[in-house]
Amino acid sequence: MKKVSVYTLSTCPWCGKTKKFFTERSIPFEFTDYDLADKATQDRIMRELDEEGASGFPFVRIGDEVVEGYQPDRYAELLGI
Amino acid sequence: MNAGSRKKALRYFFGKVVEAMGFKFTPDGDLAEFLLEQEVKLEAKHGVPFCPCRPIRRDRMRDMQIVCPCIPFHRKHFDAMKRCWCGLFVHRDVTDPDSLPQVPEKEMDLE
Amino acid sequence: MSETFVQAIRIGEVAPGGMKAVELNGREIVICNCGGSFHAVDRRCGHMNAPLEMGTLDGFILTCPMHCAQFDVTTGEALSGPVPHDLGNEPLPSKVGTFLNNVGVFMQQIRTESVAIHKTKVESEYVWVALA
Repeated sequence: MKKVSVYTLSTCPWCGKTKKFFTERSIPFEFTDYDLADKATQDRIMRELDEEGASGFPFVRIGDEVVEGYQPDRYAELLGI
Repeated sequence: MNAGSRKKALRYFFGKVVEAMGFKFTPDGDLAEFLLEQEVKLEAKHGVPFCPCRPIRRDRMRDMQIVCPCIPFHRKHFDAMKRCWCGLFVHRDVTDPDSLPQVPEKEMDLE
Repeated sequence: MSETFVQAIRIGEVAPGGMKAVELNGREIVICNCGGSFHAVDRRCGHMNAPLEMGTLDGFILTCPMHCAQFDVTTGEALSGPVPHDLGNEPLPSKVGTFLNNVGVFMQQIRTESVAIHKTKVESEYVWVALA
């Protein structure tokens, strides 16, 4: 099973839906709410987003692939479900 | 501040601005209310209503581009998606906002 | 007990979207023209007492010029607190910087209160105000 990690915002409903997508399918994932993180973590997250050319949340990493935005079809495709 | 009154004020301000650009509040009432509530909290915390779905970078030049309504800074992208990133606003002719996916700019074929 | 209306301004003195400060029986009041209907609020901002007529009126929302606190002129309700200034990234002269920091500490403690509103009526080409 590919590793799933997500950067989210506690204020964003699409991030909420993304988390729900994985919990509903019992897929383990890590997440960090950017807005609730300390400055050092925030800077690290933004560097990562900048490297991928991303600027919005949710930011989902499935294995080696990155998906920006709430795209459940892509998540399913990448997880082979 | 009363959150309900502040939401009403934001609806008033935003409505005029976005209508002039061919957008309107999403017909998904629950989504609009939720997003406006988040913006009221963000405004109370930071002084301006930031987009609830974008990171606040603590870099003024970049953060100004996510102050709601941020449509002018992302016009091509949002016109192609027919919605803004968080979905608070959609094109004026949209009746089924659920059918509009959230697609990052780099995945859209924008010239 | 019936209200006592005081004559304030001629209706032509303030165009829609405009505001005018007047003193009625020793009370400083701002008359607002919201698209043709008149509203009267206390002149002093519920945040730090700045003169509200020097701000902007957009529909029913009045924005104070000093720190941008906003008020609903139909109810007097404070809709938002002050907006922080952006002082830029250049270092300030140390006396100025220290002063502003100190003022900032006090300002954190200041609430934005709603402002008092007063009933109005239009009669014989004048706007009349019943002071609350």
